[in-house]
Amino acid sequence: MRNLIAFFRRFRVFLIFVLLQVVALSVYFTFLNFPRSQYLTSASKVSGLILTVQNDITKHFNLSLNNDKLQKENIRLRNRLPQSFQRMQNGWAKINDTLFHQQYEYIPASVINSTSTKRNNYFTLNIGSKQGVVRGMGVFSDKGIVGIVHTSSAHFAVVKTVLTENINIDVMIEPIGLFGLMKWDGRDPRRGSITGISNDLKIKRWSKVVTRGGSGIFPRGLNVGKVEKLNPVEGKPLWDVVIRFSEDYRTIQRVYVIKNLFQEEQNKLELLIPEDKEE
Amino acid sequence: MNIVVKHIIRFIVLVAAQVLVLNQLEIGFGIQFMVYPLFIVLLPFDLGIIYMLLIAFVMGTSIDAISNTYGLHTSSLLVITYLRPAIFKLFGPRDGYDILKEGNMYEMGTRWFISVFGLMLLIHHLWFFTLEIFRFDDMLFVLRKTLFSVPLSFLFCLLFQAMFVTKPNSR
Repeated sequence: MRNLIAFFRRFRVFLIFVLLQVVALSVYFTFLNFPRSQYLTSASKVSGLILTVQNDITKHFNLSLNNDKLQKENIRLRNRLPQSFQRMQNGWAKINDTLFHQQYEYIPASVINSTSTKRNNYFTLNIGSKQGVVRGMGVFSDKGIVGIVHTSSAHFAVVKTVLTENINIDVMIEPIGLFGLMKWDGRDPRRGSITGISNDLKIKRWSKVVTRGGSGIFPRGLNVGKVEKLNPVEGKPLWDVVIRFSEDYRTIQRVYVIKNLFQEEQNKLELLIPEDKEE
Repeated sequence: MNIVVKHIIRFIVLVAAQVLVLNQLEIGFGIQFMVYPLFIVLLPFDLGIIYMLLIAFVMGTSIDAISNTYGLHTSSLLVITYLRPAIFKLFGPRDGYDILKEGNMYEMGTRWFISVFGLMLLIHHLWFFTLEIFRFDDMLFVLRKTLFSVPLSFLFCLLFQAMFVTKPNSR
């Protein structure tokens, strides 16, 4: 017993160092996969407040750029309004439309904290669970997809962006409809890559890449980027497709959070698929 | 000024500078500026290592909480704090440190500061980027990030000292 106490006395500095280090590292490595708490994130009250004040000042730096973006989106939407179409047929009766149910709703938000040079980049949004944001919702901007909500507190939410390690968004290459998973290698915030595409297929440069909408997080056909280059993968009959994101994640400010009204139904249905048994 | 108040003010200014200004500067090539290791060097020479580890933990956690890094800054700050006594001993004067002095550039000399703080910053950045990327086949990328970031962080620390640390002859 006396030896044990002597041991602790002798190595107490090292033991305290190891203890604190283990706390820090376990928070770091568990957070990458699943957030245990909101207290150590920017979704907490104090950090959220600090970042809000900061954003109130710095949001004006990119103001004209963001105004241009919003104006362009307004033009695009305005072109679809009934007022901008000429009526070609008159006299049709209007009935309640049962062919189309609304599946996706959008909640506007602004990004109050963002990074783009780290290996895993997270954005903080100024809305939270009070506005209906929960873990697993998709986030996009007027130009392309942004990420998936990672954790949310009452008034703030943290988004795991496209610029993280295990993002794996299912995308497709537009004219031919090829499916693949999109990843990010941590180097260039302007480019990502798609894996799992067989190399016997011809893919044109600059063909559009859009979301596939398979998991119900994103609707089908949201912009992601364009194919820039095809690199062969060594030893496998696959292409490594390099894509250029259509959104510049370094200047992003206005985003929309997607609420899928049928998400629960889809999840319930997909639970019925029997799991593969390992042999 | 009371030494405790002085260090608390320094703590707040460094954390604020890190999370509000330097984390927002993104100039590409994977460069990140980190100035908060300066706080650990400037702590008094006679402060116990256990107190320093606790201070480092608090500082790292407060930076992590605001910048969405979840323990990365804490871990790398703890490493250099733990190594601080050994590094100080390595470059220390023959008859020990004068506990009335402070480990800044003006009181300890430029050469001491460059070697001690440069080494600490190098270890800090290397640990930080290795943990952040955490892949062996990307070691070259880690080294490139470290080598680009250390000199720039060092320059920011010199700037911070010029602004907030009083020179001995102007007292």
